[in-house]
Amino acid sequence: MAEVKILDASIRDGNQSLWGATGLSTRQILEIAPVMNRVGFHALDFTSSTAMGVAVRTFREDPWERIRLARAAMPDTRLQLIGTGLRFISWESQHPDFMQLVYDRLVANGVTRFMVLEPTHDMPQALASARMIRKAGGEEIVGALTYTISAVHDDDFYADLAAQFAASPDIDRLYVKDPSGLLLPERARTLIPAIKARIGAMPLELHSHCTIGLAPLTYTIAAELGIEVMHVCCGPLANGSSLPNAVRLVANLRELGHRVDIDDRALARVADYFTRLAKAEGLPAGVPQDYDASFLRHQIAGGIMTTTRRQLAEVKLEHRFDEVVAEIGRVRAELGHPIMVTPFPQIVVSQALYNVIGTERYSNVADQTIRYVLGRFGRPTKPIDPDILDRILSRPRARELMNEGEPMSLADMRKRFAKGISDDEFLLRATMPAEEVDAMLAARPPRRHYNPDLRPVLKLLDELNKRPAVSDLIVEKPDFHLQLRA
Amino acid sequence: MNLTNDDVQEILHLLDASSSNEFHLHTERFKLALRRAGDGLWAQSTEILSPPKLAGSVSEAPLAPLPAAAASTAPTLAVDSLMDVRAPLVGHFYRAPKPGAPPFVEPGSRVEETTVVAIIETMKLMNSVYAGVAGRVVEIFPENGQFVEQDAVLMRVDPEPPQ
Amino acid sequence: MIHRILIANRGEIAVRVIRTCRRLGIETVLAASEADLDSLPARLADAVICLGGPRSPDSYLKVAAVIAAAKMGKADAIHPGYGFLSENRDLALASAAAGIIFIGPTEAQLDAVGDKLKARGHAVAAGLPVVPGGQAATLDEAQDLARSIGWPVLVKAVGGGGGRGMKLVEEPDRLVETLELAVAEAAAAFGDPRVYLERYVASGRHVEVQLLGDGHEVVHLGDRDCSIQRRYQKLVEEAPAPNLADGLRAEMHRAAVAFGRHLGYRGLGTVEFLVDCQRNSFYFLEMNARIQVEHPVTEAICGLDLVAEQIAVAEGRRLAMTQEQIRFSGHAIECRINAEDWTRDFRPSPGTVTVAEFPSGPGIRVDTHMQAGARVPPHYDSLLAKLIVHGTDRAAAIERMGKALALCRIDGVATNTAMHAGLMRAGPFLAGGVDTAYFPKFLSEGASHG
Repeated sequence: MAEVKILDASIRDGNQSLWGATGLSTRQILEIAPVMNRVGFHALDFTSSTAMGVAVRTFREDPWERIRLARAAMPDTRLQLIGTGLRFISWESQHPDFMQLVYDRLVANGVTRFMVLEPTHDMPQALASARMIRKAGGEEIVGALTYTISAVHDDDFYADLAAQFAASPDIDRLYVKDPSGLLLPERARTLIPAIKARIGAMPLELHSHCTIGLAPLTYTIAAELGIEVMHVCCGPLANGSSLPNAVRLVANLRELGHRVDIDDRALARVADYFTRLAKAEGLPAGVPQDYDASFLRHQIAGGIMTTTRRQLAEVKLEHRFDEVVAEIGRVRAELGHPIMVTPFPQIVVSQALYNVIGTERYSNVADQTIRYVLGRFGRPTKPIDPDILDRILSRPRARELMNEGEPMSLADMRKRFAKGISDDEFLLRATMPAEEVDAMLAARPPRRHYNPDLRPVLKLLDELNKRPAVSDLIVEKPDFHLQLRA
Repeated sequence: MNLTNDDVQEILHLLDASSSNEFHLHTERFKLALRRAGDGLWAQSTEILSPPKLAGSVSEAPLAPLPAAAASTAPTLAVDSLMDVRAPLVGHFYRAPKPGAPPFVEPGSRVEETTVVAIIETMKLMNSVYAGVAGRVVEIFPENGQFVEQDAVLMRVDPEPPQ
Repeated sequence: MIHRILIANRGEIAVRVIRTCRRLGIETVLAASEADLDSLPARLADAVICLGGPRSPDSYLKVAAVIAAAKMGKADAIHPGYGFLSENRDLALASAAAGIIFIGPTEAQLDAVGDKLKARGHAVAAGLPVVPGGQAATLDEAQDLARSIGWPVLVKAVGGGGGRGMKLVEEPDRLVETLELAVAEAAAAFGDPRVYLERYVASGRHVEVQLLGDGHEVVHLGDRDCSIQRRYQKLVEEAPAPNLADGLRAEMHRAAVAFGRHLGYRGLGTVEFLVDCQRNSFYFLEMNARIQVEHPVTEAICGLDLVAEQIAVAEGRRLAMTQEQIRFSGHAIECRINAEDWTRDFRPSPGTVTVAEFPSGPGIRVDTHMQAGARVPPHYDSLLAKLIVHGTDRAAAIERMGKALALCRIDGVATNTAMHAGLMRAGPFLAGGVDTAYFPKFLSEGASHG
């Protein structure tokens, strides 16, 4: 019987998976932070480069301040950043000195745990990042083994990768990262022991999404396989394409005789808070997903597209039309719904084709697609899916295309901005449009209190203020009587 | 909904800009009234309505019964010689075997130890409450149908001296 | 980490502690007497446990009952509030024995400052000026001591404090009888017959410094002036103390911190000084090893949640800030709204409150346990509410307090609201820096009666 810890990813991964990464503001996080601190989570998946950009752009909030305030409110729970190699917020590849400064500032502001992520498994790059993070003072550095299904990615492949990670003094633990939720329980029974055999006493964690309903089951058997920390989400931020539900997992683990040492009442409060928040803000709740056997094969979510049969016939792929149509819809959504005028149809369809024919989606990405996501063709209608953006830009070719030459040195970069600004401000100005950073700095400091149950009342009052003629009102609902009078 | 001072400040922030001068919000848990008083100030009156959750007593004196949900009636002080009849489990207190039937007992009724004096209904199961002592019913506290906690004092019985 | 706190107190401070616990996600169990089972804090707490009968000795003052309640409620800590058992060594010891955290200083520190003579000794050892005085073993020694101190003298009970157990002797020939009476009363009230003598400072201001320590480091959170008192009970407090020479203020801060460091103090504590206006000097009076009624004015000017700081220290955390990081801004005043008829010699006015309306707006805070229907039992103190205002400066705070008081309406019991309103208009108060002799003058002048 094992002792298992849980890591909560509600604020970052759950938010990104289900709420477009724009679901939570600083005050909404701070309100529940003291309670989260009391649960006994091993750590929180708290922020990412993408999430920091969203804070500035969408909420006009200082992401560094958000980290500081969260750290102060949660002194006993590690805050984690999920890294993306040499990128920070923008799509440009940065100079290593710049990235060192990023990690230095993250540690100074209160991030103590870092995930080192290279989905292409570019080990030298991953270990270089780990070294930088350690130098910055990162206390817990976790190497990612990104899971997928292909002939190449067998147990030995992952075991070898794990051994390379484990040999580095800058890696403290490892985790199996399964963002598409493909890991079957029976595969886990061979994969996890194969990895553990090569890493000695190094702790191994598991992170698997519920996209086709597998993760809750896989997690349950993972405890007996030696997984020490399981990544979960709370309440409405669990399930769907997000991670398994924390309360349910804890109950299941205990049912099997494992020990999970947490404050159950605090955990229930956290889940309840996010439930009330989702209701108040009209955000969707993650729902347990049906198993879809075909997903393991094509890994393409649903979607229908109608315009390219002729083009497919021209390239003799008509027999695979249904597949490609489905894929086109998905790719288009991921790439930010570009208007289907040249060159975008070509980009989307060719990518859909690559995705259908290839071993794995986005395992091949055309240069045009890369240039597209780099913004060379202008701004997409909607933002590019942050996960896809991360994946495309993590490619070595993406780096090549990004750089018209070497990335600028840190010293040269500093010269582009006013002297005397803080490092934190400099890092934002170097990677984001000036108007967005200015707007953030001009905004007033974030409130720290948020009551989801009050939102309807506040929204009502806000609406009424737009109708100054209305001063009298009665709203009557079960357990709710509101009256305004002149 | 729970109400904090920060919540009231948020409401006031919006009310300030409104053309209303009075605000009333009433839920099961609380009542909030705000009246514009000029000069950017408001007069506030708040009433927390949720009943206390009595979890036990460390004194030898019997616990006073729970107050009714929306009122703040003072609990009666226990008198040492009376015996308490307590709820054996949590649920709804009923004074009669079924709706419309006469109640099991009234204040003044004589009871034996095994007399059924009430029913506690929990999850659709009916549980009899026994007097537990021979004597006379002095006071009955909960209303018919009221939800009571386990161990809540339901009635007090003035015991007869043993025969 | 503390998950559940037993609050062994009542009234507004119980509400205050519950408020912070809710924000921090800490469960609350209220230990209440029979008279308080349906009070506002009882309705706010996650659970209520009855301590015993309405009289304090049967409930709030019973160490065994509080410990039993903490065990029954499965609390991992006890918050004793102020008054009652908040500085009681037996409670601190019994908590430790039961494996329950006592949210307060160590038992040794309670002893060091609870015994007023020991406290004086520690103050002297820490280099603080004390009011000339001392203990005498015989009546002759007492006479000699009094002569050397200078008349009038105060006879103080060693086990007293908080304004209790003090007697003024103006004439030398009254010393003996006063001493005998004081000794008898001290034995009865505090269980300790020892008394000591102190010079009576005729014109003094009561200025106190708030300390916060974690057992290793001590910081001060500024000072408060509490000179407006009636029979040693504070009525109005403000932060910072007005019209104090900068050098004097800094000296008092330094002295208070030195005292705290000398004790290795852990938790919240307040060092009380008597400021001798004529001599422009200050003396150590006593230290209160608990959270105080008037803590909100300090919170208003330094922006900290003192109950949260208490809990953090009790959890074994080090101070999250250095002295340099603590900033003060503006001025804050607190008026204690009591259930008493101030026009009839402050006769207590228990009863049931029918209307409870309080001001709300920027810079206004009300800490209360009153709401419509709440009972004011006769067994405890008469504090109904604390009205706290903050302003950019003292004049703004006073003006705001005047407006706020006008919106304070409590029906069903008599209150002293009108008295406070009068004070806020009184010349000497507006000028600032009144001493402890002022309030009796204000009352006798009857300037604001009716």
